[in-house]
Amino acid sequence: MKAPTDRGALLLGAYVYAVLAFIIVPLVIVIPMSFSQNDYLAFPPTGFTLKWYAEYFDSRQWRAATWLSVQVAFLTAICASLIGTAATYAMVRGRSRLVSLFQILLIGPIIVPHIALAVGLYLFFQTIGLSGTVPGFVLAHTVLTLPFVVFTMAAALGKVDANLESAAMSCGATRLQAFRFVTLPLVLPSLASGALFAFIISFDEPVVSFFLSGIRQKTLPRRMFEDIEQNLTPVIPAIATLLIVLSILILLGGHALRSRSKTQSSAG
Amino acid sequence: MKPISTTSATAGASVRISRLEKRFGPVVAVDGVDLDIAAGEFIALLGPSGSGKTTILMSVAGFEFPTSGAIEVDSEDLTYVPSNRRNLGMVFQNYTLFPHMTILDNVAFPLKMRGLPRAEGHARAEAALATVRLAGYGHRRPNELSGGQQQRVALARAIVYQPRVLLMDEPLSALDKNLREDMQLEIKRLHAELGITVIFVTHDQGEALTMADRIAVLKDGRIQQLGPARELYERPANLFTAGFIGEMNFVDVMVKSIGATIAVALPWGETWQLPAAAAVDAMEPAQAAVLAVRPERLELGAGAAGQVGDRQAVEGQVIKVTLSDIVYAGSALLLIGRLPDGTEIRARLPGASRLGSLAAGDVASFTVPAEAALLYRRSAR
Repeated sequence: MKAPTDRGALLLGAYVYAVLAFIIVPLVIVIPMSFSQNDYLAFPPTGFTLKWYAEYFDSRQWRAATWLSVQVAFLTAICASLIGTAATYAMVRGRSRLVSLFQILLIGPIIVPHIALAVGLYLFFQTIGLSGTVPGFVLAHTVLTLPFVVFTMAAALGKVDANLESAAMSCGATRLQAFRFVTLPLVLPSLASGALFAFIISFDEPVVSFFLSGIRQKTLPRRMFEDIEQNLTPVIPAIATLLIVLSILILLGGHALRSRSKTQSSAG
Repeated sequence: MKPISTTSATAGASVRISRLEKRFGPVVAVDGVDLDIAAGEFIALLGPSGSGKTTILMSVAGFEFPTSGAIEVDSEDLTYVPSNRRNLGMVFQNYTLFPHMTILDNVAFPLKMRGLPRAEGHARAEAALATVRLAGYGHRRPNELSGGQQQRVALARAIVYQPRVLLMDEPLSALDKNLREDMQLEIKRLHAELGITVIFVTHDQGEALTMADRIAVLKDGRIQQLGPARELYERPANLFTAGFIGEMNFVDVMVKSIGATIAVALPWGETWQLPAAAAVDAMEPAQAAVLAVRPERLELGAGAAGQVGDRQAVEGQVIKVTLSDIVYAGSALLLIGRLPDGTEIRARLPGASRLGSLAAGDVASFTVPAEAALLYRRSAR
C-alpha cells in the first residue's frame, strides 16, 4: 500500500529538481562565462581571466551607472519603508471607510503592467523635468516597491495587539511614543526585511529605468542592456556574477531577520 | 502631565460621569448614563456584551470620546483630554505586557514616560512588583510568566505611578477559575491597601457581587440598577436585573385588589395575599404582573406527602410542583419541575437536604415565604 505514495513522492522530487535546475542552470552558466578569454559572449568559455571584472571596475561609465543604481536603491528603500510603514499602520489601525480604496491604490503597482506605468511616468516626468534625475528614479521606484513593504508590514503590524498601544498610552505615552517604544521594536525585523526587498527590486528594475534614464544618468540594468546591444562582451556576465553574489547575501540577511522576527513574535 | 507624588500612600479620586452618551453611527452604545463614584470606592460595571459597560470605561480611560456628556475626576473635566494625560491606571483583559521588554522595564514604563531617571524608575518598579508579590521577577520576560503572574505585572504597571483611579476591563476573564478567585482577593487587598478608586468592568456577576462596593447593572447603554450587592440580589429594581443577577423563578399573575395586602390571581386559579412590600413596581388593580422568587428561597413543604398548607397564611404560600429533574451538585441540590399551569420552576436546597422518597415525576409541595416574593409589572419586562 505504501509503494504508490513512494513513487509519487519520487516523481514529485524529480519534478521539483527539474524545475530548480531549469531556473538555476542559466545562473550557473553565467559565472564561468564571466571568466572567459573570448572578446565576445560565447559558450563554452575558454581560458581564465579576470580582465572583465577589471574592465567593469575601471570603467567610469560602469561605475557611474552602479553608483546611480545604489543611490536610487538606497533612497528608494528608505522612502518605501517610511511611506509603506505609515500607510500600512493607517490601514491596519484605521477606522476610515477609505481603507479598502487606499489598500487597492497601494497594491496597484503590482497589478498594473510596469510598461504602462513606465510610459505614464515618462510622459509626466518629461514635462516636470524629473526624467533622468535621482529624485525621479526614487519616486518611480518607491511606487513600484511600496506593495512589497506594505505586504510585509501588514503581516507584522497585524500581529501586534492594538491594546498594547492603548496600554502604552494609558501609561502616559503619546501615540507617537507608543509607536516608537512598543510597536516599532516589535515590527523592526519585518521593516528591515521590507526595506531590503525594496532595495533589491529597485536595484535591478529594468523597465521603468529604461524609460526614465537620460543620456548621462543611466542605472546599471539600463547600461547593461545597452552594452548587450552594442558590444556583447563578457563584462555583462561579470557584472551579473557580482549581482548574483550580492543578491544572495542580501536575501540571506533578510531571511535571518525574518526568522528572528518569527521567534520574537512567537515569544511574545 | 502632573508630577508624581512622592508619598507612598495614594488616595483615590472621585469620578463623576454625567449624561454620558456615545453613538457609533446609528448604534447608541451608551444612552445617558449618570454615575457618581466616591473617592476610594470600588465600582463594578456589570452587564451582558453590548450593554455599553466597556464603552463607559473606555470613555473614562480616554480611548473613546463621548458623543455628549462629561467625565470629571476630582471635579476636573477630563471628557476630551487625551488618554495619556489622564493619569489613570488601566488593566486590560489580555495582560498587554510589552513582549520585548523585561518585567521591570514594563512596570517602569509609565515612570519613563513621566521623565523619571532610570535608576529611580527601576527602584519604584521593584517596589510595585513587591506590592503584587512578584519581587525578584523583574529580569524575566513576559512570556516566561503564567497568565496570573502576567496580569499581576499589568496591575503593578497600572499602579506604579500612583494613579488615583484604577480602571479594569474584564481583567480576570482570561484566567482559569482558581486563579480568578486568587486574583479577586489580590485586587480587593490592593484596593484596601492603596485606597485607590476602582472601576471594574465585568460580565461575571459573581465577580461583581464579591468584589465591588456598589454595582451598576447595565443593559442597552443604560444603568438598570445601581447599588450594593445585597440590595441588587435581594430586591432587584426591575425584571431585567431580577433575571440577570442570579437565578430567578417567574410566574405570571394578575393583581386583583390592593389593600393592606396585595391579592394576586395565580394562573391555576388560586388567589394569594402578598405583603404590600412585595410590590417593587407600583401596582394597580387588574395589573398584569410577574411574581419573582429566588430558587433558594423555596422551602420544601412540611409533609413529604405534599400536603397543601393554609392558603391565607401570612408566613407563606404553598405551591405544588411536579418534579421533572433532581440534580445533585455537591453543595446544592437543584429541583426542577412544573407548576400546575406548566410554568417551569426551580428550587435550590442545601446539598445535605433529605428528600425522602421524592423522585422525578412526584408532586412536591414547596413553601414560598411571604418576604421572598417580589412583584413586578409585566409590561416592564
